Amino acid sequence: MRKELEATKKNHFVVIHPLDDLPEQKVDTDSLGPMAMTRSVRFSLLSLRGYLIVICLLVVYHVVGLATGLAHHTH
Amino acid sequence: MTNKVLLEPAAGAGTEVTPVRGRIVKSKWAHNLLTFLAVLGPGLIVMVADNDAGAVSTYSQAGAQYGTHLLWIVLLLLPVTYFIQEMVVRLGIATGKGHAAMIYQRFGRWWGLFSLADLELVNFLTLVTEFAAIALALNKLGIDPRLGVPLVAVGLMIMAITGSYRRWERTVVFLCVLDLAWLAIAFRLHPGMGELAKGALLPSMPAGGLTPDLMFLVIAIVGTTVAPWQLFFQQSCIADKRLRFADVKWARLDTFVGACITITVAACMMIAGNASHLRGFTFTDPAQMAVDLGSFAGGAIRAGVLLLMINAAVLGATAISLSSAWAYGEVRGWPHSLQLPIRKAPGFYAVYALCVAAAAGIVLIPGAPLQLIILGVQVLAGVMLPSAIIFLQLLLNDKELLGQYANKPWNNIVNWTIIIVLFALSLILAAQVAAPGLFPAG
Repeated sequence: MRKELEATKKNHFVVIHPLDDLPEQKVDTDSLGPMAMTRSVRFSLLSLRGYLIVICLLVVYHVVGLATGLAHHTH
Repeated sequence: MTNKVLLEPAAGAGTEVTPVRGRIVKSKWAHNLLTFLAVLGPGLIVMVADNDAGAVSTYSQAGAQYGTHLLWIVLLLLPVTYFIQEMVVRLGIATGKGHAAMIYQRFGRWWGLFSLADLELVNFLTLVTEFAAIALALNKLGIDPRLGVPLVAVGLMIMAITGSYRRWERTVVFLCVLDLAWLAIAFRLHPGMGELAKGALLPSMPAGGLTPDLMFLVIAIVGTTVAPWQLFFQQSCIADKRLRFADVKWARLDTFVGACITITVAACMMIAGNASHLRGFTFTDPAQMAVDLGSFAGGAIRAGVLLLMINAAVLGATAISLSSAWAYGEVRGWPHSLQLPIRKAPGFYAVYALCVAAAAGIVLIPGAPLQLIILGVQVLAGVMLPSAIIFLQLLLNDKELLGQYANKPWNNIVNWTIIIVLFALSLILAAQVAAPGLFPAG
């Protein structure tokens, strides 16, 4: 049976849907751990974190203001 | 061409035997075509679903206010959206994991949880806008939203809970194909071909110059074409479909085809907006635009635009809810696959169902602050996009992780250019929403 299949495959092409195929060996991300970063990358990410915290606080402040205004308007 | 199904034991002796199902074809051409069709899905869906209810509104408003003047910006966004999503393709295939899981593993808990929280929030708010659009369109079709919206929500749940990724994908690809009806609508509205070519190929400034209104509409167009949820969705989708290293080129083609379709459909929405403007109608929302178009182009156009609006919202809703459910499952370590039945992935399906049900429920509450929600979507997406694509860029330069699939120098030049432009636009948008007095109204 296997020999027959091999012979068939030599003269033909086989299409296999990804979900019908055997699971493939992927990069083992669990063993890699956190990414090694240069000092400049680490500093940039720290700056980004600061920016995001500030902008989120501004947004919350603005949304609370809008929601309060909206509530007054409804009443 | 003779096709037959091949079944063979594929695993080695002594291990559990897993059957591999294949199709034998005689020509290389047929092999390539069928392999592409087997891989087709994640790229097409992420791109077409990006033209969701918010996009219909933004593009038709752009057409109604500025005619075909902004078509070149939409065309310019084709390579932008393709290059960003192409990175996701490589990352998804190489790791077999979703974007949220990668951020959590490689950048630590703080960034992992921040990205997840922001994604879940902005996705939920976007989902509310999808259902708001469905309610609006149903209303104009004469269907009571109190009946129609829950039915759509149930339909969305049934689509996902069948325990078969393939069944979900086929249904969604069918909805993506329906989206092409925008081409027929645009053609029926008889746009001037010369004007279209000029608007698409010759960058020009609309009359009145660069006003704050124009600037924010451009930001909205960019924001609706490149959205954070797309990164998470496509990577998780690729992981769920178990795409292989050999599929990279086909997954790239899938993404490119999707990008071409989404940009073409976006242009058609602009043409529709422009057509209503040329007849003297003022744009308020896409459902009203459908009614306006119907008054001179016929009832079929009216019904067509309203149905396409619902289709866009349904596509957006399923993709966005799934990106939320996949991301949550990845970070929590829960089973998270459309291939699993409900009993094996209860948390994953519960997040999906909860997102859909809560968003549909909010829309049905009389006096819900929808305007505030739309504003929230814009600003949170603006806040999230730069960090999301910076992580993507860092991950794609991680040679330890990706090896030969890591970015090449030319990838980095293109991508950093895109990131700088998007960052600048996001900053302007976030600043405007956080401090509305910053830019005077035009």
